[in-house]
Amino acid sequence: MTPLLRRSGLRHLARHPWQAGLSVLGVALGVAVVVAIDLANASAQRAFTLSTEAVVGRTTHQATGGPGGLPEETYRRLVLAAGIDEAAPVVEDWVTVEAATKAAGKAASDSPRVLHLLGVDPFAEAPFRPYLGPGAAGTDVSALLTRPGAAVLAAGTARELGLVPGGSFTILAAGQRRRVELVGVLEPDDETAGRALADLLVVDVATAQELLGRVGRLNRIDLRLPDGAAGAELLARARRALPPGATVAPAGARAARTEEMTRAFRVNLTALSLLALICGVFLIYNAMTFSVVQRRTLLGTLRALGVTRGEVFALVLGEALAVGLAGSLLGLAAGVLLGRGLVGLVAQTINDLYFVLAVRELAVPPAVLVKGALLGTAATLLAALAPAHEATSAPPRAVLIRSSLESAARRALPRAAALGLALLALGALLLAVPGTLLVSFAGLFGLFLGAALLTPGATVLLMRLLRPAAGALFGLLGRMAAGGVVAALSRTGVAVAALVVAVSVAVGVGTMIDSFRGTVRRWLDASLGADLYVVAAGRPGAPLDPALAARAAALPGVSRVDAIRQAEVPSERGPLRVLAVDLDPRGRRSFELRQGRPAAAWRAVAAGRGVLISEPLASRWDLGVGSRLRVSSPAGERVLAVAGVFYDYASEQGAALMALPHYRRLWGDPFLSGFSLYLAPGADEEAVERALRRAAGPDRALAINPNRELRRRSLEVFDRTFRITAVLRLLAGLVAFIGVLSALMALQLERARELAVLRAHGLTRGQLWRLVTAQTGLLGLAAGLLSLPLGLALAAAMVHVVNRRSFGWTVRLDLAPEVFFQPLALALGAALLAGLYPAWRMARTPPAEALREE
Amino acid sequence: MAGPPLVELRGLSRAFREGERERVVLRDADAVVRRGELAVLVGKSGSGKSTLLNLVAGIDLPTAGEVLVDGIALSRLSERDRTLFRRRHVGFVFQFYNLIPTLTVGENLLLPLELQGRATPERRRAALDLLDEVGLGDRAASFPDRLSGGEQQRVAVARALAHDPTLVLADEPTGNLDLETGLAVLDLLDRLTRRAGKTMLMVTHSPEVVGLADRVFRIEDGRLVERPAARATEERAVAVP
Repeated sequence: MTPLLRRSGLRHLARHPWQAGLSVLGVALGVAVVVAIDLANASAQRAFTLSTEAVVGRTTHQATGGPGGLPEETYRRLVLAAGIDEAAPVVEDWVTVEAATKAAGKAASDSPRVLHLLGVDPFAEAPFRPYLGPGAAGTDVSALLTRPGAAVLAAGTARELGLVPGGSFTILAAGQRRRVELVGVLEPDDETAGRALADLLVVDVATAQELLGRVGRLNRIDLRLPDGAAGAELLARARRALPPGATVAPAGARAARTEEMTRAFRVNLTALSLLALICGVFLIYNAMTFSVVQRRTLLGTLRALGVTRGEVFALVLGEALAVGLAGSLLGLAAGVLLGRGLVGLVAQTINDLYFVLAVRELAVPPAVLVKGALLGTAATLLAALAPAHEATSAPPRAVLIRSSLESAARRALPRAAALGLALLALGALLLAVPGTLLVSFAGLFGLFLGAALLTPGATVLLMRLLRPAAGALFGLLGRMAAGGVVAALSRTGVAVAALVVAVSVAVGVGTMIDSFRGTVRRWLDASLGADLYVVAAGRPGAPLDPALAARAAALPGVSRVDAIRQAEVPSERGPLRVLAVDLDPRGRRSFELRQGRPAAAWRAVAAGRGVLISEPLASRWDLGVGSRLRVSSPAGERVLAVAGVFYDYASEQGAALMALPHYRRLWGDPFLSGFSLYLAPGADEEAVERALRRAAGPDRALAINPNRELRRRSLEVFDRTFRITAVLRLLAGLVAFIGVLSALMALQLERARELAVLRAHGLTRGQLWRLVTAQTGLLGLAAGLLSLPLGLALAAAMVHVVNRRSFGWTVRLDLAPEVFFQPLALALGAALLAGLYPAWRMARTPPAEALREE
Repeated sequence: MAGPPLVELRGLSRAFREGERERVVLRDADAVVRRGELAVLVGKSGSGKSTLLNLVAGIDLPTAGEVLVDGIALSRLSERDRTLFRRRHVGFVFQFYNLIPTLTVGENLLLPLELQGRATPERRRAALDLLDEVGLGDRAASFPDRLSGGEQQRVAVARALAHDPTLVLADEPTGNLDLETGLAVLDLLDRLTRRAGKTMLMVTHSPEVVGLADRVFRIEDGRLVERPAARATEERAVAVP
C-alpha cells in the first residue's frame, strides 16, 4: 500500500469521528474488560504465590499430619533418627488483630486486619526462610525465644498498625483474645520480600502453640532434601519416622492444589469477559462494513485508477488495524483502571469461598497487557476481514449502487442460516456430551454464534410479519420503517445480532443467578433449623473447646445443642474436608439426600460404618453410594464407605459428613468448630446469648449469630460472589449498546438523502422523528423477541451444564414471570435510547444540505 | 499524421444476463484507433457506450471477441495484470470527477504516480506543473470539496495525464458541467492530450467534441458504426485541393 493510500484511509477515519470513535470505544471496552479480569486474576494469583513463597521459602518437602497436626516429638525423630539435618517445625494459623489496636493506626477500612501467625524455631530457619533466621535484618531472635507472647512484624505492617517495638497488641487467636508484644520489626532488603512478609506475624514455635492452644503439636515440619538418590533415601527414612496418618509431600503440591481450587472460578470470569469482546467484534464488523459501503464509489474509482484488489483489501484492513490499535491501547489503560476495581471483588470472592488471601495491589504483568493488545487487535482484524473482502469486490466503475451489497446480503441469508443452524446443533452437542468446562464454554459460544448467524434471516421474517401491523398502526410511515429494516439488512442484521447476544447474556446470566440464589435460599431454609450458631470470632472454623458446648447445653432456655467439627484429613484422592457432626435425629432433616435412602444412610453414619458426601465432592471425585474412600489417620489407614450423597452449597470443594464419635476415634481430635443451639419455646434469644458469653469467660471471643442473621450473611456472601458477574454483564451490555448506537447512526446518516427527499416532499420533523424511532423500535422488538429463546437456552446451559461442570451443584432453574418480558424491555429500551441521537440529528439536518451532499 | 493502431476491437460482444433473458449491449464490434487520435463515441443513453469504455479499460470482460491495446489482448491477462496494465497505461476522466475526497488536490494528482512506484522528484514536479497548466497551481493543498465542479474536473484531467499514460479514457467529462465550463475543460483535454501525443477515447454528447474528433463511432442497437469525422473530412479537403 502506498503512503497516499494509507493517508487517505486514515483521513477517512478522521473525517468520520463518531464512527471511528464508537469503533475505538467498542474495542477499548472489550479489551478493558478482558484485561481487567486477567489482571484481577493475576493479582490474586501473585498475592497467593507471594504469601506461599514467604511461608514455604526454600522448603522442598513438607511433613503434615491430620487435623490434630503432628506431635512435637516427630521433629526430634526426623532430625535424630532419620538423620535429616535441614528440618524446621512450623505452627501456623490465621489470626485477627483486634479493632482497638487497629484504630490506633490508620483506620482506613472497617474490615479486620488478618495476619498469618507463623510459629518457627529461629535457629532452624536459616536454610528455609533466611529473613527469619538469626541475623535477619532488624530482628532480635533471642527476645522471640525468651519473652512470652513476643512477636515480630514487617516494619511496614507495624507502621500500618501504629505499633512500635516494645508495644503490645491484642489478637484473636483460635477464638481467644491474646496479648502479643512486638519485640522487633523485619526490614526486608527488597520489595518482593517486603510484600511477601506484609501479612506475617512471626513468633517462636512455643509461643504459637500457646497462643493457638495447641501445646505439644506442630502443624507441619518443613524439610530440605537434596536431589537424586541421597534425597530419595532421606525421603524414605523420613516416611518411616512419621507417625501413622502423617505424610510427606513436595512443597509445591499444596500450593498447586490451593490454586487449583479457584480454577473454575477464574475460567468462568474469563469466559464472561470474552463475551464483552465478542460484542465488540460485532460492533467493529458493523462499523467497517458501513465504512466500506459508504465508500463504494471511491473504492471503484481507485480500482479504475489501477489500485489492485490486494491493495484495497490492505487499505480496509489497515484502517481496522488503526482502530484496533487505538482501541486496544485505550482498552489497556481502561483495563488497568477497571482492574483496580475488580481485583477487590475477586479477592473478596476468594476470601468468601476459598481461603484467606490479602491482595493489596494490582499486579500488572506485561504479558497480560501484550495479550490484551493482541486479542483486541486480532479481534478487530478478524471482524474487518469480511468487509475488507467486500471492498475488493467493488467493481472498478464510477457508478456503483448499494443495492448490490444488499442483494448480496440477501443472497447470503440461506447460507448464513444453514451455518447458524449447524453451529447451534454443534453447540448443543458440546453441551450435551460429558466434557470439561472448556468444552462447555465452546458449546456456549457455538450457541451464540449460531444464533447471531440466524438473526438476519429471522429479522426478515419478523419484519414481514410486523409490516402489516406497523402499517395499520402508523400508516405508510410504519410500513416504510419495517421495509427500511429489511432494505438495509446488511447493517440492521448485525445490529440486531449484537443486541440479541447482549440481551440474552443479560437475561441468561440474570436467570442463572436468580435460580442459583433461589436454590441456595431454599437450601438455607431447610438446613438452618437451629436458633443460634456459635463459632470462634476472628476465624470461623478455629478450634473451640468442647466443654463450651456442654456448658451451653446446660444453660436455661436451651433445649438441644448440635456440635460440628470441620477438618481436613489426608485421603488417597488428596485432602478431604470432613464435617463431623453430633446430630440429634431431628437435625438430620437439614441434610436432604440426593442419592441413598435416608434411614439406612443415617444408620450407617451413626454406627460409624459410613459417611455421607456432598454433591460437589461426588461430582469432583466421581463418587456415589457404595464408593469407598481410603483415608489415613493416626489410627492407621481406614476405608470410608459412602452411604449417601447430600445437597450442599456451602463449598464447591465438597465435604464428607461423618459422626463426631467416629471422627474422634480416627483422628483423636477433641475440638469443635462450632455448635448450634435450639431454644426451648418462649426462651429469650438475647438472654441465652448473654448467658453463653458469661459462661465462656472474658478471654474467649465468640461469634454468636441468630438464625436470621446467619441466613442474611450467607446470602450476602452469595450476592457478593456474583457482584463481579453483574459488573461484567453490565459492561458486555454497554459494548452492545454502543454497537447498536453506531449501527443506527450509520443507518440514518446513510439514508440522509432519502430522508431529505421525504422532507422536501413535505414530511414534517415530527413525522421524520417518528419514522426513525419506529424503525429503531422495530429493531429493538426483533432483538427482544429473538433474545428470549437464546437467553433461556443460555440460562439452562449455565445452570445445568456449566455450573455442574464447574462446581458440581444441582441448581433448579427458576423462571420468574418477568424473565419473559425482560428481554423485550431491555432490547426495546436500548434500541430506542440508541435511536434518540440519530433521530434528533436527522430531524435537525436541513433537507437542502442533505440533498446537496453528493 | 496518424500512427500505428493503439486500440483494436475484434469481433467484440458483450451481453448481460437479466433474470432469464440475455440483453446484448454490444454485438460483433470491430474498430481501430491509431496512436495520437482523438476518437469519440456517441449514442443514446443506455446504448452501451460506457460498457465499451470499460471493455477497453480492462475493467469489464467481453462475452466474445477481443480488445487489443498496444498489441496486448486484455482478456488474456489476469485480473491483477489488467489492473496493473491500467495503472501504467490508462488515464481516466469520469463524468462525476471522482476525486478522492480524503486526499488533497496535489495528492490526488500524485496518486497514479505513487501507485506505480515511480514518484521520483522530477516526475512529481512534472505532475504538479500540470496543475499549473490547468490553472489550479495555487490549490494543491486544498481538498476537493473546496473546489467548484469545473475546477474538480480540471484536476481530474490533470490526474489522468499525471503518470504519462498512453491512452486516456473519458466518460462524458462535460456531462456534469455548464456549457461554458464544459467547453473550457474540453479545450484543456484536447490541448494537453494532443500536445503530448496521447490517444484519447471519449464518450460524449457534445457536438463540439464531435467536431474536434479524428474518428467518430456510434453505437446503434448494439452495433458499432464508424461515421465520417468532420475533422478528418476537413483534413482530406485540405490535402486534396
